[in-house]
Amino acid sequence: MNLEKVVFGFFILLAATLNFGFVIGDIDNPEHHNEFELFAAVVVSLIATVLKFGDRTQIGAVHLATSLVADLQLIAAAVVWAYAANASVSGMTPHLMSSIVSLAAGALFANVVSVVLLVAETVSFHRR
Amino acid sequence: MASLLAGFWQRLQRGNGRESARRRERHARLAPAARESGLFLVLRRMRAPLIALIVIYAVSVLGLTLIPGVDGDGRPWRMGFFHAFYFMSYTATTIGFGELPHAFTDAQRMWVTFSIYLTVVGWAWAIGTLFALLQDRGFRRALATIRFARRVRSLREPFVLVAGYGQAGRRLVYWLDLLGRRSVVVDVAQERVDDLELAPLALAAPALAADARDPDSLLMAGLVHPMCAAVLALTDDDEANLAVAMAAALLRPDVRVFAQSLSASVRDRMQLFGKPTVIDPFDRFGDYLRSGLRAPEAFRLIEWMTGPPGSTLPRLRDAPRGRWVVCGHGRFGRHVAADLRAEGMEVTVIEPGAGAADDPGIIVGSGTEREVLARARLETAVGLIAATDNDTSNLSMIAAARAANRELYLIARQNERSSRRLFRSIGLDFALIPAEVVAREIFSDLTNPALYRFLGLVRTQDEAWAEDLLARLQHVSGDRLPLLWSARLDKATAPALAAWFAEGRSLSVGALLGGRSRHHARLPVVVLMRVRAGEAVLLPGDFVDLVPGDELLLAGQGEGRRAITAILAAESPRDHALLGVDRPAGWLWRRMARNREAQDAAG
Repeated sequence: MNLEKVVFGFFILLAATLNFGFVIGDIDNPEHHNEFELFAAVVVSLIATVLKFGDRTQIGAVHLATSLVADLQLIAAAVVWAYAANASVSGMTPHLMSSIVSLAAGALFANVVSVVLLVAETVSFHRR
Repeated sequence: MASLLAGFWQRLQRGNGRESARRRERHARLAPAARESGLFLVLRRMRAPLIALIVIYAVSVLGLTLIPGVDGDGRPWRMGFFHAFYFMSYTATTIGFGELPHAFTDAQRMWVTFSIYLTVVGWAWAIGTLFALLQDRGFRRALATIRFARRVRSLREPFVLVAGYGQAGRRLVYWLDLLGRRSVVVDVAQERVDDLELAPLALAAPALAADARDPDSLLMAGLVHPMCAAVLALTDDDEANLAVAMAAALLRPDVRVFAQSLSASVRDRMQLFGKPTVIDPFDRFGDYLRSGLRAPEAFRLIEWMTGPPGSTLPRLRDAPRGRWVVCGHGRFGRHVAADLRAEGMEVTVIEPGAGAADDPGIIVGSGTEREVLARARLETAVGLIAATDNDTSNLSMIAAARAANRELYLIARQNERSSRRLFRSIGLDFALIPAEVVAREIFSDLTNPALYRFLGLVRTQDEAWAEDLLARLQHVSGDRLPLLWSARLDKATAPALAAWFAEGRSLSVGALLGGRSRHHARLPVVVLMRVRAGEAVLLPGDFVDLVPGDELLLAGQGEGRRAITAILAAESPRDHALLGVDRPAGWLWRRMARNREAQDAAG
């Protein structure tokens, strides 16, 4: 067992699960979406990105790309949240909330691709 | 210059489309791609500090959002993520705007104190790692390698791969550059690579500090690049040269390989791989010396023709026949003594080493000592060769020998580049610079195969012939070394002459050089050789005819060469020289002239 692989898999899965946990619920209901969960999703996603730096293989490049997409989407969601909470005149509206959740849902898709890649890699190199 | 050698490069690059496609394909397969860019190298090394930084920020921000605070009116208030991140951003980067948006409670201040120290540590680690990385030799080397591989890959013109930027490599890179030819250099020493970067070359030569014995570095330097025209193995180490020749023969069998070697066994091993041209400077010098003793004029001729272009004509004394003294019985001394004996000379050898003691014919002692030199009876000798591998001893031997006999023919071996000024000013008849011998040999073979062939034929001619040619060369080129170039009379290199032949006209050597008509003076050019279908004619006379496809070897100065090149290439100078007619050069004037001719014919 390789500790590096454990850490790598852990962060990728955690990024996907946190993301999923945040997205699930009514899309425009702020009660169903926890801001701490979004924060955790952003942080874990960033860590997963850094962990993917420097993998020279083709699959490593795709991994990095999916992570960058997830980061971008999650950070965009966080920025919208910050705007809604602090700058928006009318505060958090259902419209803004659904924007946040849909951005995070996009990130979830990228994270799912990451997990699929991880599984595919594991299946094809199971003897190592 | 460029157009002259274009033919040579084309010949080296010759091959049909399929051949070159195959070569490109092999290049793509074998050449190690620069696997990653510098940015990714940085990112990989920065992984740990970056993760630490993310975690530190996350913990600090999260703490700020969890700790209860109060707003300006003392009501309970909690910091949102946005404000927490904003606060941490300006605090961690030590900008410090103060406690925003509301004054902090003591609990918040405790947490902020803790996170300030935490973030400062994180930043210090990240920035420290980054700077250490940028300073790191290995990292900079990796960056240089990536840059080098990229530069080599993007080369679109033929280049020569030079393994070993020592004395011989340095000369060749410089001379090739004079001809507008690019080199790619691999040398094991970083200082030499740095040196090359500062060298005043017209075409920057990509250089890599790497061991040439490693095929990967050769591949990176373009061994299988479709534009690689020749490989030169010129390192100071025979084994490394062998490795280079081997790699070239196995990975790129269609490219010419030149290798320098001092050892006979390495030479034999090199010959097992392809057909490398192996050069032993001592052996070549022995040959020079023998031909100098046997045929001084021919020797002088060769000396002139292989000199670096444009330098002044060396004034050589004839090597005398008689008893020679060789100081130093190492690899070179042994070689040269054997060559002299083979030429029928009596040889006295002086050798300080203990190994010489068992040979009674050798005077044991240092050639720098007066008493030892006296035993060699310099006053009755004709020449002295200072052949040790130590420049200081060689110079002092020369000084001592000159004091004993002013008439001696003095030859010294110059080992280090740094002592070249001393050797130049001590007034030798001949300074043997092994690197120079190697460089000249390769240069003339590489840049002008016709000349190389000509030099081989010179050795078969007698002294009177050589003397006559020397006089003619001196007539056309004065006291500078003649410029030698070859020209092929085909469509690619001589379009104007091809058109001339296509009109059914004939051309002789005399007509090409001119001088028989009143229209222009004879060009200061000597035609040294005409090659037709592999058959060479030396010094063709004025009435020898030329046909399409002939190759000429010519000698002269820049002016003569420009004139010949113009005659071969363009119709207006051609007609001026061959017919004495001023043909308009521009399109419009040509049309008008043609109309006038047509009218004249009609009228």
